Amino acid sequence: MSCSENDSRRRWLPHGLFLLLMGAFLLAALSRPVAAAEQPVSFVNDVVPVLTKAGCNVGVCHAKAGGGQKGFQLSLLGFEPQEDFEHLTKEGRNRRLFAGAPDRSLLLLKASGQMPHGGGVRLATSSEGYALLREWIRQGATMDGESVPKLVAFAVEPARGTIQRGAEQQLKALAKYSDGSVRDVTGMALYEANDKAMADVTDRGLVTISDIVGNVAVMVRYQGRVSVYSASVPLGALVENLPSSKNFVDEQVFANLKALGIPPSTVCDDATFLRRVTLDIGGRLPTEEEATAFHASQDAGKRDKVIDDLLRSPDYADFFANKWTALLKNRRDDASDTVSNFAFHAWVRDSFLANKPYDQFVREVLAATGTVIGNPPVAWYKRVKEPKEQIEDVAQLFLGVRMQCAQCHHHPFERWSQDDYYSLVAFFSQVGRKPSGTRGEDLIFHKRGIATATNIKSGVPLRPAALGDAIPEIAADADPRLKLADWMGGKTNPFFAKSLVNRYWKHFFVRGLIEPEDDIRDTNPPTNPALLEALEKQFIASGFDLKELVRVLTQSRAYQLSEVPNQHNVVDRQNYSRYYPRRLQAEVLLDAIDHLAGTQTDFANLPPGTRAVALPDNSYNASSQFLRVFGRPEAESVCECERVQSSSLAQSLHLLNAAELKAKLASPTGRAERLAKEDKPAEAKVRELYLAAFSREPRPQELKTAIDYLNEPGTAANANYQDLIWALINTKEFLFNH
Amino acid sequence: MTAFVYYSRFRWMLLTALICGTWLSMTSLLFAQSVGLPAPRLLTTIPMGAKVGSQVEVTISGEHIDDADELTFSDRHITTARKLNAAGQPEPNKYVVTIAADCPVGIHEARVMTRLGISSSRAFSVGTLDEALQTKANTTLATAMELKVNSICNATMTQRAVDHYVFEGRKGQRVIVDCATRGIDSKLDAVVIIADAVGRDLVVERRGGTLDFTVPTDGKYVIKVHELTFKGGQAYYYRLAVSEQPAGTPIVRMSSTKPVNSFSWPPQGLKEQADLAESEPNNDRTKAQKISLPCDIAGSFFPAADVDVFEFEAKKGDIWWVEVASERFGLPTDPSILVQHVARTGDTEKLTDVAEFSDIPSPVKVSSNGYAYDGPPYNAGSSDILGKLEIKEDGLYRLQLADLFGGTRNDSKNVYRLVIRKASPDVAIVAWALHMELRNGDRNAVSKPLALRGGATMALEVVAIRRDGFDGDIDLAMEGLPEGVTASGLKISAGQSRGLMLVTANQNAPRAIGSGTFFGRATINGEVVTRPVRLASYAWPIPDSWGEIPSPRLFADIPVSVSGLEFAPITLTPPKEVQSVTAGEKLTIPLLHTRRSEFSGAVLQLRTMGAGFDRAPQFDVQINADQSQAVLDTAALKTPPGDYLIAFYGGAVAKYRHRPDLVVAAEEAHKKAMEELSAIDAEVKKLTEAAKAAATEAKPEADKAVEAATVKHKAATAAVTAAADRLKKATAAAAPTDIVDIVVSEPIAIRVNAPAK
Repeated sequence: MSCSENDSRRRWLPHGLFLLLMGAFLLAALSRPVAAAEQPVSFVNDVVPVLTKAGCNVGVCHAKAGGGQKGFQLSLLGFEPQEDFEHLTKEGRNRRLFAGAPDRSLLLLKASGQMPHGGGVRLATSSEGYALLREWIRQGATMDGESVPKLVAFAVEPARGTIQRGAEQQLKALAKYSDGSVRDVTGMALYEANDKAMADVTDRGLVTISDIVGNVAVMVRYQGRVSVYSASVPLGALVENLPSSKNFVDEQVFANLKALGIPPSTVCDDATFLRRVTLDIGGRLPTEEEATAFHASQDAGKRDKVIDDLLRSPDYADFFANKWTALLKNRRDDASDTVSNFAFHAWVRDSFLANKPYDQFVREVLAATGTVIGNPPVAWYKRVKEPKEQIEDVAQLFLGVRMQCAQCHHHPFERWSQDDYYSLVAFFSQVGRKPSGTRGEDLIFHKRGIATATNIKSGVPLRPAALGDAIPEIAADADPRLKLADWMGGKTNPFFAKSLVNRYWKHFFVRGLIEPEDDIRDTNPPTNPALLEALEKQFIASGFDLKELVRVLTQSRAYQLSEVPNQHNVVDRQNYSRYYPRRLQAEVLLDAIDHLAGTQTDFANLPPGTRAVALPDNSYNASSQFLRVFGRPEAESVCECERVQSSSLAQSLHLLNAAELKAKLASPTGRAERLAKEDKPAEAKVRELYLAAFSREPRPQELKTAIDYLNEPGTAANANYQDLIWALINTKEFLFNH
Repeated sequence: MTAFVYYSRFRWMLLTALICGTWLSMTSLLFAQSVGLPAPRLLTTIPMGAKVGSQVEVTISGEHIDDADELTFSDRHITTARKLNAAGQPEPNKYVVTIAADCPVGIHEARVMTRLGISSSRAFSVGTLDEALQTKANTTLATAMELKVNSICNATMTQRAVDHYVFEGRKGQRVIVDCATRGIDSKLDAVVIIADAVGRDLVVERRGGTLDFTVPTDGKYVIKVHELTFKGGQAYYYRLAVSEQPAGTPIVRMSSTKPVNSFSWPPQGLKEQADLAESEPNNDRTKAQKISLPCDIAGSFFPAADVDVFEFEAKKGDIWWVEVASERFGLPTDPSILVQHVARTGDTEKLTDVAEFSDIPSPVKVSSNGYAYDGPPYNAGSSDILGKLEIKEDGLYRLQLADLFGGTRNDSKNVYRLVIRKASPDVAIVAWALHMELRNGDRNAVSKPLALRGGATMALEVVAIRRDGFDGDIDLAMEGLPEGVTASGLKISAGQSRGLMLVTANQNAPRAIGSGTFFGRATINGEVVTRPVRLASYAWPIPDSWGEIPSPRLFADIPVSVSGLEFAPITLTPPKEVQSVTAGEKLTIPLLHTRRSEFSGAVLQLRTMGAGFDRAPQFDVQINADQSQAVLDTAALKTPPGDYLIAFYGGAVAKYRHRPDLVVAAEEAHKKAMEELSAIDAEVKKLTEAAKAAATEAKPEADKAVEAATVKHKAATAAVTAAADRLKKATAAAAPTDIVDIVVSEPIAIRVNAPAK
C-alpha cells in the first residue's frame, strides 16, 4: 500500500476517531521515544510485542500446538513473525483484518471483547496496544521491509542490586536496534521472579521484595531476548562467632551469610549429626550399636570416620541406586521387564559401590551397546526409545538443561534454538537396533553412517553439536554418542559437573543452589554462584569422584549446622544458615519403621529382609500402600519432582492407624514383643528405643513419661511397648531428617 | 437402560460367544496342549561335577526317568554303577560314578537309559580342584558354609535367598571366584559378591564373569551367591570355584558348553594359534598395522571403543574371504569390518569404501520369540563375520575391525580371530529336532532326545553354513544306529541351506542304544569331503515359550535309542519301492496307517518335506482310516527329473495313555491281594468259631491262633488298601491325555523321469 493511499484513507476517518488515534499514538510514543507517530508501524517491532504482552501467543492460547485456538494460530511468544503475519493476513477468510474499517477487524473485536472471545478481554479499546494494532491495520497491515531496524540487544536496568526487605525497585527494559536506536520497552516486556515468595513483580516491572532474605532473580523477556535482574536481600544482622570452616564449602556459605547478615545456627550435636548423615548417605537409621559407639568415642575425627564408613558401605550404593534408577526410568510395565530391571538396577548399584567416576557412569549409559544381560545400561534404551526423548532426558538429567521447548520453537527462556535441539538429537541418530533373543528387547549398536538430524521447521539436516559447542567432524564409523560423552566429561563443560553438584547439594542440603535442580539457565541464577563454581571445580578436579563430593559436602560445618533457628535466621530459606528439616522419603521411612518395630516388610519374590531402598524398580509400589502414600516415584520422569515429598492427610492417617503399621507393632517377632518379654529394667528398654529411633538417649522427662506409661496397670506389657513405639514413630523427630 | 439396549447387548455377547466358540473349536486340536509324547529327560545331577581320579555318589532327577537303570557318560573314562543299599538293592536315582585319573577335564554329557530310551543330556563337569557339596541351607551369614581356597562347591540355589560361603584369605593373595551356571545347563543367572567378614559387599560380578580379588588383609571373607532376580529351585544349580592364582597370570575359567552357533568355527584345518597378533596402537590410519594376505591374526577388542586398523596391498581381480570369530567363542561381541581403498596424493588420502562386513545371517528364519512357533529358536548365524572381498583395482587397502558392542566396555577377554584367505570352499552343519508351526507355546518337541518309540520316525532339521562360495549338494547320513533303526537324509540341495534327517525305528526294533555318527557329504573341488553334523538342543524342556527364554547349546555326541516297550501312536507307511513319475504328471502315493492309539479329531493335515516337493499343498487324510493316499502334482511343483527323498508330516492329537501295562499289573496285584484277604478272612472266622467252642484248657491256645490270624488279617487288609491305591494311581496315570504328536511318515523315494520326447 502506498503512502498516498494511506493519506487518502486518513482523510475519511471520523474526526473523533482520528483524535483518539492520535492520542493512542502519543501514548505509544511514550514507550517508543525514537519512533515517530508518522512512521509506519512495524509488525515485528510493534505488533508482535503487543500480542505477546497481551498473552495472545502463549502455549495455552493461540500458540497452542496443533492449530492454536479456534483456527487462529500464532507462533509461541512471537518467535516466528513471518508465520504470524501469514496467519493474520491470509487466513480466516480475510475477516481478521479490515484495513478500510480497522475497528471491525476480527482481531480487534475479539481481543477487546466486543465479540465473544474465549480468552476474555486482552486489549481494552482504550489501551495503547489496541491503538497500535489498529494503526498497523489502518496502514495496510504490511510486513516489515528490509529497512526496518532489527532488535539486536536487550537489557534490564539495573542488572543487579542490594535491596532491603519490603522495598520496591522499578525495572527498566531497554531494546536496542540495528540502526542504533534504543527503545524503553518496560511496558511491553514480560517479568517473572524465580522465587515468587521472595519477590513480586508487576507487568510494568515494579518489583516488591517480601520479608524473606537471600538472592532472587527476575527474568525479563522481550521478543525472544532475555535479561535478568538479580537482587540480594540482606538481613543485616551481625554475623559473628561463625563455626570454623572445614573446607571451601564453609568458606563460601559463611561468606554469603556474612554478606547477607544472616547469623548461622550452631553446629548440631553428635546424635543429630549421626542420624542425619546416616540417613543421607546410607538411607537408613543408625543402629543402636552404632549410636552407642559413636557417643562413646572421644575421637575428634569421629564425624569424618562415620562419613567414610558410610561411603564404604553397600548402604550407600543401595540408597543412591534407588535415587538414580528412578531418574533413569527403570520402570516395570510387564513381567518380561523383570530381568532387565534387576540387571540395570544392579549395575547402577554396583557402579556406586565401586565408586565408578561419574563421567564414566554417564558414558556407559549414553553409549551403551549390546544386550541388557551383557551390558545392563542398554536397559535405558529399552525405556527411552526415541532420539528426541533420549536427548531431552540426557539434557535434563545430566546437563540440567530442559530442551523440550526447543523441539518446536525457540526456547522461551533460554538461548536454545531448534537447530540446537536437532543438533543434539543428531548424536543419537545412528543408534542401531536389532531384535534380541528376549522378547521386547533390542540389541543396541552404532549404525555406521554420518550422524544427522533434520530440523523439522527448516528441513535442514544438522550435524551433531552440543549446546552451542561445535564438535569436530564425526566419522561414519565413530559412535557419535561417545563424542557426546567426551564433550560432557570435558573439564570446561559448563553444564555437566554443575548439574551434578547442584543435584547432590540438594540431596544433602534439601534445597538446590539452583532450583529446580534440573533447570539451569542464565535466567535462573544460583543463590550462591561462587559456591556452585567452587563445587564444580572440585568435582572436575577430583576426576568426577562422587564419594569425594559427598565427603566434601557432609564434612562441611554448613551441612552439620543445627536445624534449630536462632533469632535471626528463621526467615532464611535458601542460604543454608541452618539445616532445613525434610520428611524421610517413602522407602527410608518404611525401613526406619521396620528398624524401630523390629520387623521386615515382605516384598514379592525378594529375600526376606530386603530393604525398601534396595528395591530394583517401581513395581513394588503397586503392592505397598505405604510406598504409594508417601510418594515413591513410578520412574516415569527424569525429574526428581516425581517423588512426592509433600505431606498429606493420607500419610497422617496411615501413620496413625493403618493396618500395616499395627501389624508391624504387634508382630510376634517384633521389638515390642521382645522388650515385653525381656528381663531387663524398663529404663534400659526405653533407652534402647530412643537410640533406635533418634540415635540419642531419652531426656529425663521423656524417660519418666515412658516408664510411667509402661508401668500403667491393666494393660498387657507388649501392648504398652507397642503404644510407645507407635508414639515414637509419630513424632516429627522420627519422621524427619533434621 | 431400555429393554432394547439390553437385548442388543445380549445379542452382541451371544454373537461374540459364537464366534469365539467357533474359532476355539477350529483351533482346539492343536491349541494349548502339550506337544510331544513323554520323553525321558535327565534334568539334574547332584553334584554336577567331580574331580579327576575320584569316585562320587550322584543323585539324579528328571522327567520320565523313574525306571532308569543306567547312568551313562559321553566319555568312556567315566563309569557308573547303581548305588546299593545295605540290603544290596539299588537305591532309586543314585549312582556311584568313577572318574578315571586320565579322564579329560571339561564338560561331558550325562544321560540315563529308561524304558522310553535314552534321556536328554545334562552337563557334567570334570575338573582338577577338590569338590564340596552344599549339604544344608547356608542362606545367612551365620550359616555360611566354609569353603577352602582351591575347591569347588556344588550347590542349588534357594528361591528368595542368598547363599553364603566363607573363606580364609591372606593379605596380597590373588583369589579368583568363578561360578559356573548357564555353561553347565543351569537356569541360574548368578550374582557373585565378595564381602568382608561381616557381610558388607566389596566387589560384585553379575554378568557371568569372574571376580579377580586381591585380599586386602588377612582374615575371613564372605562369598554371596544369588540369582539375579532371586529365583531358585532344582533347576538353579551352580558350581562355585574359589582358587588361588599367581598375580599376572591369565584367568582359567571353568569349562562350559558351547553355544549353537559355534558349530561353524573353526574352519577346517585352521591352526590352533594364529600366525600373528594385532599390535597396538593400531587405532587409526596413521598407526595402521601392515599385513600381507593371506593372514591369520589374533587380537582383542580392548580397550573400550577399540578399533584395530590393518593395511595391505592387493591386486585387481583378487578375491579374498574374510572371517572373524569372537561371538562364536561365546563372547558378547559384535565384530564389524570396513575395508577401504586408499589413494594417496602427497599427504592427502582419498578413501573409497570397498566392503562392509557384519553378521553371518542365519540360513533359515529364526523364531521371533512369540507364543506361536514360527521358526527354529536356534540361530545358526552369528554376529561374527564371513564375507567375500573382491578387489577391483591394484593398490593399498585399509581394513578396520571394531566391536559394535564395545564402545564403553573395557575387557581384554573380548578377543577375536581374523582370518583372510583365498577361497577354501567348505561347509559346517548343525541339526536339531524338527518342530512344526503350531499356535502353541509348548517347545518341548525341539529339545527331545533321539529316544524312538517303535514305529516312529523323528525328523531333524539340518542347517548348513556354506563357506567361501561352496554351493553344491550336501548329502546327509547317520551311522552307528541301533538294530531296527534307519536314517534317511533329505539332502541339502545345491544353493540351499536346509535339509532334513529322518530317523525311523522299525515297529519290532528291540530296546537298544547306539552312538550315532551324523555327517554331511559333499563334493568340493572334485573331492568328496565328509563333515560332522553337530546336534543342538535346549538345555531344558520349555512348556511355555512366553515365560522362558531358552538357552540352546551344542552336544558332544548323538546317542540314538529305541524303547522296545512303547510304540508310536500311528505309523504312516508308504511303499518301500521307489515311486516313479514322469515330470509334469501326478504321482499318487498310497499310505498305510498303523494306529496304536486313539486320536482327538478325525483328520490329519499333512505337509510334505523334502527338496523338490516341499511346496506341495497341505492335504487331509482320515486318521482313522486304514489307508490313504497322497497326490503330488509335479507339473504344479515344477519338479525337474531326478531322484528325490521326501516324507509327509503333520500334527495329530493322540489320546496318550501312560503305562497301561502298569494298570494291568496293578489289577492283578489288587486281585491277588483281595484273594489273600478273603482267604485270611475265612481263616479268622474259622479260628474264632473254634476258639468259642474250645474247651477251657484249649482256650488259650485257640485264642492265640485267633490273635495271630487277626494280625495277618490286618496286614492283608493293608495290602489290599495299598494295592487299591496303586491301581488307582496307575489307572489315573493311564487315563487318556490329549498330546500333540508330530507325526512323520516313513521316507519315500521318488524318481521323476524326463518326459518322453
